[in-house]
Amino acid sequence: MCGIAGYLSRRDEPQPVGRILLDMLTSLARRGPDSAGVALFRTEPAHRETCWIRLPESGDAAAHERRIVADLAIVGDVGAIERRHGLLRVELGPNDGPAAIRRAVERGDEEIEVVSVGRQLELIKQVGHPDELSGTYPVEDFRGTHAIGHTRLSTESRVDLTHSQPFWARGVADLATVHNGHITNYHKLRRMYEQRGVRFFSENDSEIIGVYLADQLDRGLSLEQALEASLDDFDGSFTYLVANGESIGYARDPFALKPLVTVETDDYVAIANEEVAIRAALGTAGVAHEPSGHVFRLWRRGPIAAPAAA
Amino acid sequence: MSGASAPAGERIVDASERPIREVNRDIRVALADGAPVVVRNPGARHNLGVALLGEGSVRFDGSVGYYCAGMSDGATIHVGGSAGWGLAEGMLTGTVVVDGNAGNSAAASIRGGTVVVRGDCAARAGIAMKGGRLLVGGNAGYMTAFMMQKGIVAIAGDAGDALADSMYEGTVFVGGEIASLGNDTVVEPATDAEQAELEAAFAQFALARPPRFRRIVAGRKLWNFEKHELETWRAAL
Repeated sequence: MCGIAGYLSRRDEPQPVGRILLDMLTSLARRGPDSAGVALFRTEPAHRETCWIRLPESGDAAAHERRIVADLAIVGDVGAIERRHGLLRVELGPNDGPAAIRRAVERGDEEIEVVSVGRQLELIKQVGHPDELSGTYPVEDFRGTHAIGHTRLSTESRVDLTHSQPFWARGVADLATVHNGHITNYHKLRRMYEQRGVRFFSENDSEIIGVYLADQLDRGLSLEQALEASLDDFDGSFTYLVANGESIGYARDPFALKPLVTVETDDYVAIANEEVAIRAALGTAGVAHEPSGHVFRLWRRGPIAAPAAA
Repeated sequence: MSGASAPAGERIVDASERPIREVNRDIRVALADGAPVVVRNPGARHNLGVALLGEGSVRFDGSVGYYCAGMSDGATIHVGGSAGWGLAEGMLTGTVVVDGNAGNSAAASIRGGTVVVRGDCAARAGIAMKGGRLLVGGNAGYMTAFMMQKGIVAIAGDAGDALADSMYEGTVFVGGEIASLGNDTVVEPATDAEQAELEAAFAQFALARPPRFRRIVAGRKLWNFEKHELETWRAAL
């Protein structure tokens, strides 16, 4: 089934979005406890990029770390480095951008993957129940404006870190997705992207969403336009959430096959598969609404009056 | 059960931090005693108030999750918030009123009784209905009344795509716009008698209603297979 959740504060001051997402995901964990993850967004961009990099499971972690740091130093000014549960978190000062970071680090080695790059985004994921997420990173202490999260029931691909969600839309700083459902034209789309030289790291159909959105943005579409286009370009059952530095949104398949509920108040927008997660995390405020099928929506940060421009 | 007594003999059941099975058992015990029930802190949890086989009044003080009031037979159930998937699925008789919105498949396969949703219904409301009434104060989504067999679906607002697709029998009434009709459906003006009946039904539940309804019924072309109508079947399937 998978559980997906999202939260966007309409206030400028940082909110405990890490705690809120953990509460929502814990409530949804019965939809699938195989792996869990969150994409957390700081209120303001940091001065440095944060890169999360997956380390190989075998070999000497310290040696891998040395190699990755040496590679990163070619494309940017390496700052703080932390190793956490199979992941390396590196802060980079002035650098050549996400594409260059990926080229430097991934270098044809199947095992090393840039999990995320961004100035607002911290993308934390791990195998296991959402309760265990804080063992990887102090998620519950994170304050920011918005976040999306995922708790996974694996149906068609492996349970490991690479196959866990959220997925970073590789190459686009601060853009992440979480997905509930099956993209049934995944293999066809994947072949098309592979012929163009896009590298996939998992056999999880959800990985295609970030690749697709990155491609649409690269073609000049706005995120809102890309969400709309995806309604017809993806087949199958899907409710997916997307977030970047200033917005959070959803897209839902034409048949409305996967659940999706939103609650909007003056203070926040909350999205989840099931209303119970929103109530568990945020109480009784606001009226829950389930949209129909073939719909998308994007909310921007800021008070309600702000136009939801494309 | 908290056991706290409220005015008019109401029985209060607090659902917070308790297994749903216990909550439902407490509701059944109260109804058997003839006491109206108020369920506090429903928290949008699933399976609340399922299989209530008898008359009586139950009010949920907030949102409910999936399958609330499923298989209900006679109870009057009021939801103070929104409802998740499969609201009142398979209901036999009774009344279910939701103040907020309903998720997918509201009133699926009901055989009788009345389901009222003051707000919007998501996709497939009234799917495979076999009797009874579904009254929607707001809009209804994709494939409302899909394969409906009997009864009434009345939507004050707009209807989504593929309305009443492949319906066998029954009547769908729409006050607002219809995004698109499903296969083998016919749109007609509602008769004066139907209009009066709908006005009374909407007034009974204090629902705002449009000035005039249109009705959608089965075109009956899919009832029997006719080789010369092969194209109709191709489109439907």
